[in-house]
Amino acid sequence: MAFRLASLCLVLVSAILAQPAAALLRVVASLPDVADMTRQIGGDQVEVVTIAEGGQDPHKVPVKPSFVTKLNRADAVVVQGLGLEHTYLPALLEVARNDAIMPGNRAYIDASLYVDPLEVPSSQNRTQGELHPLGNPHFNLDPVRGKQMARAIAEGLERVDPDHAATYRDGLSRYLALLDRKIAEWEKLAAPLRGVKAVSYHQDLIYLADRYGIELIGTIEDKPGIPTTPGHLQDLIARMGETNTKLVIREVAYDQALADTIAERTGGRVAVVSSLAGGLPGTQGYVDSIEANLKALVSAVAAMGG
Amino acid sequence: MHRRTHRVARRAGLVAGLAACACFTAPVETRAADSPEVAKLKTELTATQGELSQTRAELSKTQETVAALAKRVDAMASAPPQTASYGGAGAPTARLSPVNADNPAISFVVDTALQTNTHGDGGVGFSLLSGELFISAPIDPFVRGYASINGTSDEGFDVEEAALVTTALPWNLTVKGGRFFSDVGRFSHWHNEALPFVDRPPSIDRLIGGESRSEGVELSWLAPIEHFVQITGGVYNSIGEQEGAEPVSSVFGRRSFSELTWLIRPQTYFDLTDTLNVEVGGTYFGVPQRRDRNLYGVDVTVRHQPGTSEFYQGTTFGVEWMWNDEKFTDQRPRFDTAGAPLLVDPSVAFDPSSNPQVFGDGRFYRQGGYAYFESFFGRRFSAGMRFDYSEAPSDDVDVESLYTAPLSPNADRIRTYSAFVTYLPSEFQRLRLQLDQIVAQGQKNDQRVTLQWTAFLGSHSHGFSTR
Repeated sequence: MAFRLASLCLVLVSAILAQPAAALLRVVASLPDVADMTRQIGGDQVEVVTIAEGGQDPHKVPVKPSFVTKLNRADAVVVQGLGLEHTYLPALLEVARNDAIMPGNRAYIDASLYVDPLEVPSSQNRTQGELHPLGNPHFNLDPVRGKQMARAIAEGLERVDPDHAATYRDGLSRYLALLDRKIAEWEKLAAPLRGVKAVSYHQDLIYLADRYGIELIGTIEDKPGIPTTPGHLQDLIARMGETNTKLVIREVAYDQALADTIAERTGGRVAVVSSLAGGLPGTQGYVDSIEANLKALVSAVAAMGG
Repeated sequence: MHRRTHRVARRAGLVAGLAACACFTAPVETRAADSPEVAKLKTELTATQGELSQTRAELSKTQETVAALAKRVDAMASAPPQTASYGGAGAPTARLSPVNADNPAISFVVDTALQTNTHGDGGVGFSLLSGELFISAPIDPFVRGYASINGTSDEGFDVEEAALVTTALPWNLTVKGGRFFSDVGRFSHWHNEALPFVDRPPSIDRLIGGESRSEGVELSWLAPIEHFVQITGGVYNSIGEQEGAEPVSSVFGRRSFSELTWLIRPQTYFDLTDTLNVEVGGTYFGVPQRRDRNLYGVDVTVRHQPGTSEFYQGTTFGVEWMWNDEKFTDQRPRFDTAGAPLLVDPSVAFDPSSNPQVFGDGRFYRQGGYAYFESFFGRRFSAGMRFDYSEAPSDDVDVESLYTAPLSPNADRIRTYSAFVTYLPSEFQRLRLQLDQIVAQGQKNDQRVTLQWTAFLGSHSHGFSTR
């Protein structure tokens, strides 16, 4: 009996202490866009787990204890950055007991490192809604900035795992070449969007609009993170009428009924996009997602007769 | 740069023109070598040639500088980040919010309420449920600190928590020390404003004494496996309602080790599906000496988190039950089923002031707990219901009222049925309405209505423990 107990204990301890035979780099990614980029760059050398899913609102991701253990055992964490993950990642990191992946440390890979942020608030005043002090964090929707994200991720992987630097450099080169090719295609695809006036639900499309010449005239939310009010809706619909705005862009994580109502009241069309990769049906990676967003927008503009 | 280019171009043209003139006028020049006009032109040509060669030299120098700069930019663009020196300080690896070591994160919570009820202390009243100042900051690479100073209408200001937490211990260990809410059950260590209800479940109030406030030290270990298992052990002067109580025996005013309160709490978590998960925890704490106190608890939380944009956003279901075996001193008389006091000496009349018939020490077994659910709708609404059952120690019963009210052995059992609805105008503000039906055996039922208004000023972070 004692021997059986001892054997059982030994098995349990071995199971706890056992490490995977292949020394893959264990990476936890905060969001699907940076997760996909990490997979594309790291290839077979990385094992990536994603915290948030594509259809989720990145501001409201559940804090699950199962992610604590993944972060505890992670070799690196990859974040989109600029505070986009502030509602869940700091809480998870605080209890993960893994000093290397704490913000600012070696294995904390911040994809925003080389991105020039837009909409950096000049003052942190909450009367203006839930502002991100470092700037608008939804830069992943601009594929040119996507290249900057990829570069920061590749450099981060190399920093954490210098033995496989060549793998990450090759992966980055291939991925940048793919993005360059797609960016050229998307420029042509998105040509009808130039000069189109639109409203979005949340203030998260500025980078996409900036890249493809969409003119954003307002948001359905009153202010970032603040739900709409009847007065704000009335103003928005009036402004849409005055500026002849017909395109209502709904991010997939936000309420459908309200966007439909506004489109109906203004005689416009709703285009559904996702602010995260994999949020739209049939999409998985970053490239897929950018393309699906542009196609949805172009299709809505075409239906408007524009 | 442009001006210089134009000037060079102009001069080059002039030189070319002069050269052409020189070619076409060569025979004339020969014939009129000493003409003053030709001499003037020659001088100008020489000067212009000098300027041209100077400009060429400058241009070449500028081109070299530009080429060097371009080379440097290319090198910077393609170079890996600077490697860290002295094991840490190097090129920034993340874009982070600025942190000022002299100014820790500060937040203040205003938690107010309007309450009315039909019986007991019936009437209407406004109250400050909590005015809480919360300060936190990393102290050095190894420790962070936090403090919470709270003021209420009933209890004035008090330091609720002032604790240090390690951040860099090996073997997945964390140590917390100071005054803090010990890791008892699910809601005992939550601050009032973080609760999903306007009040702490009455069973926690009566069995633990509100928050599980303690002075002591706590060690927490996260198992280094894929599955979430966390075990917390702690030792404290006391937990909750015993906090600050005089020690039964003391050595220079302090407790012996066996008079301290010892705690152990294992927790685990399972993802049942992508959207459904369950968290299970157990708690034991007790005072070893003479088994002064033993409390056992179990808590289960099930969450449905579909993560969709639909109106229905998810549900949390929680249940927690506690069993408490505790020694009380200076016990009042107990009552039989007919409501008559069980007296030590039946020959002497029972009188609370002159002959309270104190039994001395006595052990009492009590239990209590709650079950609740809360569903989330849209992005800003939630609604739920709660049932709570609690038993109080006999000291909680107002002895005076036992003479005027019908006596009952069940007078200290309370059932509370609650319904609550919450609206968040923003992430930093909350309105909540709660209706309670309070059924205390031997007393009239009480209906209570509470409207709570809570706001968060300053730094606002979402903690793991209050997920």
